[in-house]
Amino acid sequence: MTTVMNHKSPTASHRPIMERLNVVTAVVLGVAGAVISYYLAQKFLPQNTEGSVMKTRHDQVVLIGMIGWFIGFMTGIGALVGPFRWLMGKDLSHDENMYLAGKDAGIARYFRYTTDHKVVGIQYLVITMVIFGLGGILAMLIRTNLGNPEGGWLHPQAYNAVVGIHGIVMIVGTIIMITGPFGNFIMPIMIGARDMAFPRLNALSFWLIVAAIAPILSSFFLGGITTGWSAYNPLASQAPAGMDGYIMFICIFAISTMVAGANITTTVVRMRAKGMTWTRTPIFIYGTVASVALALPAFPVFFLSQIMSGMDRALGTTFYDTRGGGSGWLYENLFWLMGHPEVYVILIPAVAALMEMAPVFTRRPLFSFKIAVMGIAGICGLSILVWAHHMYMTGWAPLLNAPFMLTTELISIPTGMLFLVLVGTVWRGRLWMTVPTASIFALLLNFMIGGITGIYLSDVPADAALHGSMFVTAHFHYTLMGAGLTGAIAALIFWFPKMTGRMIDKQLSWISFWMVQIGFNVAFMGMFMVGLAGQPRRVEAYAELFTRGNQITTGAAFVIMAGMLVLLWAVIYSWRHGQKAPMNPWQSKTLEWSVPNPVPLENFETLPTVTSDPYGYGKAQS
Amino acid sequence: MSDLQTKKPQWWKSKDVKITAGLWVVFSALIAIIGGEVNARPMGEAASETMANTIHIMKLFTWVSAPVAGLVAAIAVKALMQKMHFGDNPPPEADHQISDSPKATAVWVIVSALLCLFALIFGMVILQKDNNTLLDVHATDIKVTGQQWAWNFDYSDNGNFQSEDLYLPVNKPVHFHVTSLDVVHSFWIVQMGIKVDANPGYLTETAVTPTKIGIYDLRCAELCGLLHAYMQKKVHVVSQQDYNNWVTSHGGTI
Repeated sequence: MTTVMNHKSPTASHRPIMERLNVVTAVVLGVAGAVISYYLAQKFLPQNTEGSVMKTRHDQVVLIGMIGWFIGFMTGIGALVGPFRWLMGKDLSHDENMYLAGKDAGIARYFRYTTDHKVVGIQYLVITMVIFGLGGILAMLIRTNLGNPEGGWLHPQAYNAVVGIHGIVMIVGTIIMITGPFGNFIMPIMIGARDMAFPRLNALSFWLIVAAIAPILSSFFLGGITTGWSAYNPLASQAPAGMDGYIMFICIFAISTMVAGANITTTVVRMRAKGMTWTRTPIFIYGTVASVALALPAFPVFFLSQIMSGMDRALGTTFYDTRGGGSGWLYENLFWLMGHPEVYVILIPAVAALMEMAPVFTRRPLFSFKIAVMGIAGICGLSILVWAHHMYMTGWAPLLNAPFMLTTELISIPTGMLFLVLVGTVWRGRLWMTVPTASIFALLLNFMIGGITGIYLSDVPADAALHGSMFVTAHFHYTLMGAGLTGAIAALIFWFPKMTGRMIDKQLSWISFWMVQIGFNVAFMGMFMVGLAGQPRRVEAYAELFTRGNQITTGAAFVIMAGMLVLLWAVIYSWRHGQKAPMNPWQSKTLEWSVPNPVPLENFETLPTVTSDPYGYGKAQS
Repeated sequence: MSDLQTKKPQWWKSKDVKITAGLWVVFSALIAIIGGEVNARPMGEAASETMANTIHIMKLFTWVSAPVAGLVAAIAVKALMQKMHFGDNPPPEADHQISDSPKATAVWVIVSALLCLFALIFGMVILQKDNNTLLDVHATDIKVTGQQWAWNFDYSDNGNFQSEDLYLPVNKPVHFHVTSLDVVHSFWIVQMGIKVDANPGYLTETAVTPTKIGIYDLRCAELCGLLHAYMQKKVHVVSQQDYNNWVTSHGGTI
């Protein structure tokens, strides 16, 4: 619980409301809000009559209950304190701001609406691991179920629900896995700032994600998300009330992403240290900004698409219902307008993080910084013009297939630039073999496979054979997990000393690295094979001929799981008992390593001035 | 690579470059051969020209991307072949400070753009071929209706009878008009390499000419609810004679 701070409390016995709020009050108020609004909705909403066309009352009640939870939770955590003060015509005092930043609050600040970017970073790291844990358990349920052709012990409806929740939970986890923990903890220090531009928005973006977890968890008990993560209509309007959990989850998460995006972008544009020109800004910063800036146009569309989906379910509108003049194609368009930029939201910061590490572990400058920036910018620009390649086979607009084929294949050019930067940097460097170094090579391999299989899929005739098959599933796991998650784990190991003050266990992280990488490649190669042979996605049973491929995948999936558990153990153990980290264990030249462990509140005593680019390695300089 | 030219004029004579070039040739060949086979083998024997084209184009894409993948692999392996440094403290810094090589990057970008253009043109050519089948006026028209979780076929050209089985005459173009009664399904004949979504309220089209007598798989490729996994059928491609017999036995006309 919160500590009493004498210098600011009016009387010792009477603490202001602001100081009484934490995650406990948030959950209490959230549950109260949910119960009250659920009760009121049950009581006052008109009953479904015999003659009513849409039996939507249940969805209305569920959605109102979830909105009640959301409002209660956000009030209880203290998100409304600042806006309330502004309404009163005042702002928070300096002491109150210091209290919000978690000054002298110890462990309690992690359970409060704390504005310090380092606290938010750690909070994000923990929630990302929780999300991956949940998604990973669901992945293992899917794989065990697919261990034999007849399907397994899961009921088809339960299987569909598991697939849907695995999908959306993992997508959200991968979206926040780098910009969340490292974009919040490391990025402001890296650019030489004391905090983010909008610290309270920073806390808001994190607690919104926590608030969003209740709807997605509740969907387990409301029939599940039986539509896969893409939630296509009209299937979604047919789905059980678990779908309302999905809609609520996405709406809250989209707000969180927009808030974080605006915050991070502003911070980088406005708050870089003196002398940090754009050419001296580390590439990881570019990756982070590109990622969140790309989310800025993408997520409002996602938000909107789900609002419309919710209206179709609860209010009887027909945005996506052909019978009422709508179209499922509208949903697909809106969804993929978000859905394709979103994969680059995940991928770009992962690649950028490894680009940041490459010079450190090869002890030479980053190769062709400008090409790296151009590659990132090129991907961002093109990625909003490629969405309809997910819709080649919908029959929506055959004439548009050719132009979308063009834009999609053009993306391989900026993507190739990222490869060039990475291979250019490892070329003739002195490799310091650590897990992040090995991750660079793992990323080159996995991303190459993911990229080339993407070229097949971008081609309309080949997509006619591959779309909707396990091949697609394997392809995007190669990009999001093989490339994205590999980069995120490397980032965790690289920045672990700064974030926790301790070194991560070397041996355990190596064991985990090899288990995950080998398990991953075996598992998803098996999946490519069954996809090529014609196994559709999202099926709980399959023809005999796919048995071997699926069993290979299932077996290797258990290796991945074991590897991930080893990593989890390494993180927990090292966080508590690991060897104390020096200030700059990797001898890196970026600013975040110039502050002591643990990083003090407001990071720098005097703000640094930057006089050279961050990649000045190599003999010629010293 | 050419970034060495800042060091010495004849960069290609350096040992590093020679080894990398050798690796490049080996890896490119390996990726082209193995990659092409790995793709083509599981896809099985094509039951239509569309599928044959698809297998062909996937092999072609593999060959086109093999030099790029091979180069990345060669440089990566060369880097791994160097003496590595383990331990808790950093190794001495590299003996050079090369941070850019405009020529190398220009070559890289131009080559990747050309390969991209090549892939695009081939894709367009094959796409055009597939589209031409759609325009064939002599094709047999079959209306396909998906519903949770079954397929129905209307043989409108053969006396408009309905069937739950799909029989197709060999070597005759077939034109499918696909729709759905409830949610989105996807009509996919695996071995023929054709697919199109079945949308409620809309007719979508695809066409194919089966080239081999046999039994093939029709699967639903879009998650459509509870029994999506079981929404499959066999496709029977038979000789014209057998097809005529089958049609008349179902009350249709030839």
